Amino acid sequence: MISIRKISKWYGAFQVLSDCSTEVDKGEVVVVCGPSGSGKSTLIKCVNGLEPFQKGDVVVDGISVGDPKTDLPKLRARVGMVFQHFELFPHMTVMQNLTLAQVKVLGRATREAQDKGLKLLDRVGLGAHQDKFPAQLSGGQQQRVAIARALCMDPVAMLFDEPTSALDPEMINEVLDVMVQLARDGMTMMVVTHEMGFARKVAHRVVFMDAGQIVEDLPKEEFFGKPRSERAQLFLSKILQH
Amino acid sequence: MSGFDWGEITSNLPYLFEVGMVFTVKLTVLAMFGGIFFGTLLAMMRLSHLRTVSMLAGGYVNLMRSIPLVLVIFWFFFLVPYIGAWILREPRPIPVGAFYSALITFTMFEAAYYCEIMRAGIQSIARGQVWSGYALGLDYWQTMGHIVLPQAFRNMLPVLLTQTIILFQDTSLVYVISATDFLGAAAKIANRDYRLVEMYSFVAVVYFIVSFGLSLLVRRLQSKIAVVR
Repeated sequence: MISIRKISKWYGAFQVLSDCSTEVDKGEVVVVCGPSGSGKSTLIKCVNGLEPFQKGDVVVDGISVGDPKTDLPKLRARVGMVFQHFELFPHMTVMQNLTLAQVKVLGRATREAQDKGLKLLDRVGLGAHQDKFPAQLSGGQQQRVAIARALCMDPVAMLFDEPTSALDPEMINEVLDVMVQLARDGMTMMVVTHEMGFARKVAHRVVFMDAGQIVEDLPKEEFFGKPRSERAQLFLSKILQH
Repeated sequence: MSGFDWGEITSNLPYLFEVGMVFTVKLTVLAMFGGIFFGTLLAMMRLSHLRTVSMLAGGYVNLMRSIPLVLVIFWFFFLVPYIGAWILREPRPIPVGAFYSALITFTMFEAAYYCEIMRAGIQSIARGQVWSGYALGLDYWQTMGHIVLPQAFRNMLPVLLTQTIILFQDTSLVYVISATDFLGAAAKIANRDYRLVEMYSFVAVVYFIVSFGLSLLVRRLQSKIAVVR
């Protein structure tokens, strides 16, 4: 479904990604972790072309992201993305957030888009909040709306860029629960996160990054059992202590 | 003050307001809408990744901001008829009249200032907002039109209106092309009746009341629309 092939990226002279390759198969959940500044967020933004890359290619559902002839908006409409800071549109109600792209990009009728929106709001447990503005919701609720917004587009895969790192601790679980449910329903997911509990529960594979490189790319059991690289062992020992 | 002739003012009120003020307000409002429209386009050009596009817009803005307004008014007044003739392939310059000449001038000139305001407004919107628009499959124009610009306008509304108050005052400069705006109308009466003190004092008071009143409104608006995030 998502195939990242030897991509490299530079900011000026500084190389942020070097020769990264990995695959996410259909229905697979891949967790990407690593210390901050290791390039995880940049890597996941390369998947739908939000960040351009200079070398290599990413192929999503058979379509090349790096090819200048690719219709990027069309491709992005089929790949959901959830951001660290939710990025709901603050000047629109929850329902307008959910329907905007359905109407403008997919050409759905407003009524149809609202029905779809309401169905997905119910799925994330927020059906009663459709007329509120994002600022009236808690962080956890906003992130669940953001997930529902992405799902409204009937995506073939979902990308999560640190979806819980901006949340208060007591709100993390409500978001993770939605994500776990999504994973169990068979959604193809690529998730940048530090939530190792989530990784243990639903991930099929874990990718560990450091300094712009993919250091480990292992099935979950092996990664938590004994990763080969010292760097990954050190990382795990630090975050699993607590 | 014994010689102050109040009757001079009251008897000329209809001419001052129905002719002069109507011209001024029409010019201000139309130039504001035109200026904000072109200013927003210029701002989007200035923020473009294409170097030629951003340099073109930057050059225009810097040019307009470096020339005195009076000169631009003169320049357009004498040049626009020739440009019109050139576009329509007429052998003679086409007279456009003081109002349309002034409207084109103020629209083009104010666009440079509105551009800088809108540029700050667009840059005040977090990059993540643009990302999330793109991630949903919206293209550049849709992301701008539905997500970035509505928020930028809202953030910048007080500054845009303050600039418009300045524009309202600046329109009085059209006296150099003998247009009958509010000040122009007063000047004509002042010279005809030789009542300079009455007319110019009255005009100053009216400009003050309108401008100061509007700026108070802007201040109230400012506290009202502060964006909740």
